[in-house]
Amino acid sequence: MHIVGLYISPIAIGALKDLILTILSTLLSFVLGILFAAGRLYGHPVIKLVIGWYVEIIRGLPAILQLFIIFFGLTQIGINLSPLTAGLIWLVAYGTGYAVEIFRSGIMDVAQGQREAASALGLGRWITMRKVIVPQAFALMLPALTSFVVLQLKNTTLLYLIGYADIMYQARLGADATEAPGTLYLMAAAAYLIMSLVIGRIGYRLEKRATAYR
Amino acid sequence: MLQQWVQYFPDMMKGVLITLKLTGSSLVVALVFGFILALMRLSTSKTLNLIGTWYIEIVRAVPVLVIIFLAYYSLGNILTLSGFTAAVVSLGAFYATQYGEIFRGAILGVDKGQTEAASALGMPSRTIMRKVILPQAFFTILPPATNQLSNLIKDTSLVFTIGISDLMFQAYSAASNNFLPLDMLLEAGVIYFVFYLVLSKLLARWELNVQRSRS
Repeated sequence: MHIVGLYISPIAIGALKDLILTILSTLLSFVLGILFAAGRLYGHPVIKLVIGWYVEIIRGLPAILQLFIIFFGLTQIGINLSPLTAGLIWLVAYGTGYAVEIFRSGIMDVAQGQREAASALGLGRWITMRKVIVPQAFALMLPALTSFVVLQLKNTTLLYLIGYADIMYQARLGADATEAPGTLYLMAAAAYLIMSLVIGRIGYRLEKRATAYR
Repeated sequence: MLQQWVQYFPDMMKGVLITLKLTGSSLVVALVFGFILALMRLSTSKTLNLIGTWYIEIVRAVPVLVIIFLAYYSLGNILTLSGFTAAVVSLGAFYATQYGEIFRGAILGVDKGQTEAASALGMPSRTIMRKVILPQAFFTILPPATNQLSNLIKDTSLVFTIGISDLMFQAYSAASNNFLPLDMLLEAGVIYFVFYLVLSKLLARWELNVQRSRS
């Protein structure tokens, strides 16, 4: 118990850092994801191809390899990034790859009939998108978006491997100092568990509210 | 540059072997344990159901790296696990939750009339599961299961943190020998990507075949 009391505040601070990174990277990846999804659906064939390959590469390579390429790999060509910068760039790059697919399938899942009805009513393309497609797509996508946020949160763990002082980093320090790794890593696991459950809860609430649109 | 790629290729292949061995062993653990979890969640016993549900909810919410560290560093006080065993246990424990949900969904997805018809014919429930439900659930299982397999291969790269010399480890140690991290990581990346492409192409084939055979 003594150990728990000693390390609870560093781990809580680490958790807060991870949470901020998660929120920031999620927002940025959503913005980029929507743009890329629009590009992949309605863009020039070359743009479609490039975005398609981007998604494949992000999904095909291990997360840790991508992060290491950004942090260690780029030093070879003279780009030195701090752990925080490299971590954030990677989280956004990785998140965007996954967000594109969520938004793309969300937009495609809204029935074609909705689009036809909107254009029969003389609504412009932009208005159709904003007032008809997006609200319905959003409700459809919510479960996927919730698990996306949890995935991003879990991904922040990897930043410890490039020396960013997150939950895992604090747990590791504690484990080395106290020789009670079990307690420390369980505390880390509990911190992630609590945050994931809270995110899941929020997602569930939003889902309930969003079903009103359908 | 190319010379360096060639020079370290044999090392990388040694790593690939370990990665594949690890993937295979973890997959077996995950499939078996996942099936048990699915049965627990489908069972009529409230206790089993609750245990299965909680296990899945909790383990899924924790990052794989944390699970690996827990297994490797903490269980060491109770029973000593080799790095490889710890990796198999933790990857198996995590992916069992993924496979458990896939199995459960697929079993639930088989039409209820099938079970009813089989039990009307007097089949015992074990035979119904083995001869009627599972063969039909198999095709719904394949696509998400292959998907998870490619996730599993990618996640094996995390075990280099506990000193297992897999592909990621080889790339990292090659980079610290020749100071060409970009080249070495990209070489490993190409190898990982080939596995990903093969699996996703296989998956697309399978789906096509299944659609054809069922239409």
